Amino acid sequence: MRPRLLAALRPGNAGVVYALILIVGALTVLSARLGRPSYLSETNIVNILDQSSLVAILAVFTTVVLISGNFDLSVASVAAFSAATALSLVGSLGLPAAMAIALGAGLVCGVVNGVIVQLVGINAFIVTLGTMTAVRGLVLIVTDGRTVTAKDPEAQQSLIALQAGYWTVPHILAVVGGILLVIGAILALRKSRRGLVLAGAGVVLAALSPLVGWDLRLSKPTYYLIVIAAVTWAVLRYTVIGRRLYAVGSNAEAARLSGINVNRYKIGAFVLNGLGSAFVGVLFAAKLLAINPTGLQGTELTVLAAAILGGTSLFGGLGSVLKSVVGALILFTLDNGFNVLNLGANYQGVIVGTVVIVAAAIYTIAGRQRQVKRVRESQAKAGEPAPEREPQEALR
Amino acid sequence: MVTTPLLSLEGVGKSFPNGTVALRGARLTVMPGSVHGLVGANGAGKSTMIKVIAGAHAPTTGTVRWKGERVVWRDPGAARSAGVATIMQHVPLAPTLTVLENVFLGSRGPWRLPRRRRGEFADLLDRVGYRIDPDAEVADLAIGERQMVAILQALATGAELVVMDEPTASLAEGERQVVFDVVRRLSAQGTAFLYVSHFLDEVLSLTDRVTVLRDGTVVEEGETAGYDEDRLVQAILSEAYAASGVGREGRRAGRGASEEGERPRSTGRDLLAGERVPAAPVAAEAPVLLSVRGLNSPAGVRDVSFDVREGEVVGIAGLLGSGRSEILHAVYGADPRARGEVLVGGRHVRRTPRAAVAAGMALVPEDRNAQGLVGAFPIWKNISLPDLPALSSARALPSERAEGDRARRAIADLGIVCPGPDAMVTELSGGNAQKVVFGKWLYGGARVFMLDEPTAGVDVGAKADILELVRRFAQGGGAVLVVSSEFEEILAVATRVLVVREGRVVAERPAHETSEEELLMLANGFDAGGEPHAA
Repeated sequence: MRPRLLAALRPGNAGVVYALILIVGALTVLSARLGRPSYLSETNIVNILDQSSLVAILAVFTTVVLISGNFDLSVASVAAFSAATALSLVGSLGLPAAMAIALGAGLVCGVVNGVIVQLVGINAFIVTLGTMTAVRGLVLIVTDGRTVTAKDPEAQQSLIALQAGYWTVPHILAVVGGILLVIGAILALRKSRRGLVLAGAGVVLAALSPLVGWDLRLSKPTYYLIVIAAVTWAVLRYTVIGRRLYAVGSNAEAARLSGINVNRYKIGAFVLNGLGSAFVGVLFAAKLLAINPTGLQGTELTVLAAAILGGTSLFGGLGSVLKSVVGALILFTLDNGFNVLNLGANYQGVIVGTVVIVAAAIYTIAGRQRQVKRVRESQAKAGEPAPEREPQEALR
Repeated sequence: MVTTPLLSLEGVGKSFPNGTVALRGARLTVMPGSVHGLVGANGAGKSTMIKVIAGAHAPTTGTVRWKGERVVWRDPGAARSAGVATIMQHVPLAPTLTVLENVFLGSRGPWRLPRRRRGEFADLLDRVGYRIDPDAEVADLAIGERQMVAILQALATGAELVVMDEPTASLAEGERQVVFDVVRRLSAQGTAFLYVSHFLDEVLSLTDRVTVLRDGTVVEEGETAGYDEDRLVQAILSEAYAASGVGREGRRAGRGASEEGERPRSTGRDLLAGERVPAAPVAAEAPVLLSVRGLNSPAGVRDVSFDVREGEVVGIAGLLGSGRSEILHAVYGADPRARGEVLVGGRHVRRTPRAAVAAGMALVPEDRNAQGLVGAFPIWKNISLPDLPALSSARALPSERAEGDRARRAIADLGIVCPGPDAMVTELSGGNAQKVVFGKWLYGGARVFMLDEPTAGVDVGAKADILELVRRFAQGGGAVLVVSSEFEEILAVATRVLVVREGRVVAERPAHETSEEELLMLANGFDAGGEPHAA
C-alpha cells in the first residue's frame, strides 16, 4: 500500500485541518493587533471546544448517515424532542429513567426514518424533512408551546452533574504516550513496522511529560465528543462494519450482490443518528436546564455544514468523522472569532456561508486534480494509455 | 470519378494534458453515402477519434475536413449543426420524456410543437422503416428500442454522417437486424455512416470500407471486400499476438449446422476457438451442486427448474428481454419477489444475496460498474468485499495485509493490467475491471458461479482470458451458469445449454449437439423442427 502518513497529510486530504489552522492563525494575529485578549489562551480554546462539542457530536453521527448514502434533516428536532422529554420527566422519574426514555424516543425516531427510507423506499431528504417537521410538532405538544424547565432542585443537580464542570487529565503527554505505546506494541506484535514507530513516539512523549507537565482540563461535553468521535472513527476505519458501510454508501447494489445486508446498514445509520441526537438533546437540556419549543431550530443545517466542510460526500461512500469534527470546529472558531474581535454578528452569515462554499469548491477541484494525477501515475506504472475519463461529479 | 470525401481526417494527433497520446497522425476518409467501419482493440484510439469527429475533442495536430473544407469544431454542437450526429455507446436520452420529445430534443425554437413534430416523426419512421410509439416514455423502452430512438434523434437533426459507437453491443439478434436494415436503407438514401464495432462479422457484412486502428495510428485501410476475419484480427492485434499458436481447426467440430451458416458474428472467434476444448457432457453420476425448483418471479421468471452438476458449465441462451438475467437474479436471491426453491449441495438457500453468498454462490452481474464494483474503493477493497470476515482478525477487524495479499494474488492469477492493488477500479479498462469482479469470488469458497454477460464490452484478449477462467471454475469442481447474448460464446464454454424465452426454459441441448442457428431458432420461439439436433 502507499505510504499512508504522507497521503493523509496532503492538502487534498487534510485540507480542512489546514483551513482550521489558517483561521485560528489569522484570528490570533488579528486579536493581538487589535489589542484584545490573546486568542490562543487556554480559556478560549477550552471554550471553543466546549461550544462546538454538541454540534460536533451531531456531525459525527450525521457523517455516518451521509457515508451510508442517506441524508438526515431531523437531527435538531429529535434532539429538541429528547431534551423536552428529559426535562418533563426528570423531576418525577429521576435522571436515569428520564434519560433512558429520551434516548429511546430518539431511537424510535431513527427507526422510523430508516424504515420509511429503506423499506418503503422514499427519498431520505423528503422523509427526514417530514420527520423534522413532525417531531418539532411533537416538541410543541410535549411542551405545550411553553418553555419547559427542571424545577426540582435534585433533578437540577443531577442534570448539572451530567454536563457542567471540567475533568482534568493529569500529565496528558504521559497518558497519550502510554496509549500510543500500547497500540504500537500490538501493531509490532502483528509485525507492522508502523507499530515500532508509534511505540517509539509513545515512549518519547511519556519521557517528555515530567519536564513539561501539561494537564488537560476540558469540559465534560468535550470528553464525550472525543470518546464518541474516536470510537466511531475506529469502527469506520478498522472494522468490517465500517468497510461495509462505505461500500453500501458508494454502491448499494454492488454491496447487496456481494452479500451485504444493505438495509441493515442504512437503517442502522439512521438509528445511530437518532440515538446520538437524543444524547445531544439530553446534554443540551442539562446545559440550559430548560428548553423552549424552538430550541435548536436550524442546528441541522449547521451540522450538515460541518460535515460538508469536513469533505463528506452528499452522495455517500466518502467521508471521515474526524474531519467533520474539524469542520464543526471551524464553524465555531469563526463564531468565537467574531465575538472576540467584536465584529458584530451581522457579517457572520456572509462569512460562514462563503467559507462553506469555498471549502466545497476546493474539495471538488482538488478531487479532479487528484484524478488526473492518479491517471498519470497509473500510466507511468502500467506503461499503457489509461482509459479516458470524464471528471467526476462535484463533491464526490 | 472524383468525389469529394464527406469527411476526412489528415494526420490527426491527439494528446491529453495528462500525457496520454491517444492518436498519432491518424487519417480517415468517409465518402458520402458509404458505410465505413472503424475497428481496433480497446485503447487503440477509436473513442478518441470519434470524439474528434463529434467535436468533443479538438485534435492536437492535423486537420479535419468536412466536404473538403477545413473545419475546426469547438464543441459537439458545432459538429452536429454541420451534419455529424454521434450515437454513443451509452445512449444519453432523457428517460422521463417521450420518444417524440427525445427525438426532437436538439431542435431549435421555443415551443414543443407536438403536431408538426408528429408529422415529421411519421415521415422519419417511413424513411427508416421502423415502428415505435411516439408517446411511449423512454424509461419504459428496452435497450434496443432506445438505440433506435437515438438513431432517429440523429436523423432528425438532418445528419449527413452518423457515427455509431458499438451500436449493437447490448442488442439481441433481432434488434441487431433492425439496426443493420436501417443502416443499409439509409446509406442507400445517401446518409454516410461511421460504424465502430467489436463485432468483426458486423463490420465485414455491413461496411464498404474499413479502417483499422492500433495504438493510435491507422495500420490498415481499404475495401471491406478485401478482408476476412483473420486478416482483420491480425491487423487489430499485433502480428506477434495473432501468430502465437492460434489454432484454426476444431472450431466447427460437432457443430454441423453452422458449417454452411452465414458469417459468424464474434470478435476474434478464432482466438476463442483455439482454446476451445470440445465441451463434453459431465458424467451423469457427478453430484448435483445447484438445484432450482419452480422458480417464479413477477420480474419475468416462469416456473423455472433445472440442475447444475459439479464441473458443469450451463449456458442460458435467450434474446434480450427473455428473462435470462432475471433468472440469475432470482436464483441468487437478488430479486426479492422471486418465489421457489434453490438448493446448493442439497441444502435450501434462503432467498437473499447474503444467504446465497454464505451458501457458496457468486454473481458476476451484467453491469459491472453499477452492480459489480464499488467505485470509491481501490482494487484490493473490491476484491475482499464479499469475503471480508474471512480476511479479518476475529472476523471483525479486516487485515489489510491479508486483503492486499489476496488482491496481489488475484492480479497475478487473472493477469489484471494495473499499477497495483491500490489502483482505483474506475481507472481500469472494461476487461480488467471485469477481472476484478471475478477476483471477488475466486478465493472465497464460492462453488456456484453465475455469470451475466461476462464478456460484454471486453476486448479480444481479455475475452479469451475470461472464457478460460469460466472453464477453470468448472474444472475446479464448481457449477457455472453463463448468460450471454452471444450464442457463439455460450457454445464455446458451455457443456449444456438452456434456451429461455418469455421467462421459461423452452429447450435444453447438450452443447456439442447444437449450433448457433438452432439456438437462435429456439430462442425466437421456432421449434428447430426437422433439424437433426438429437444427434
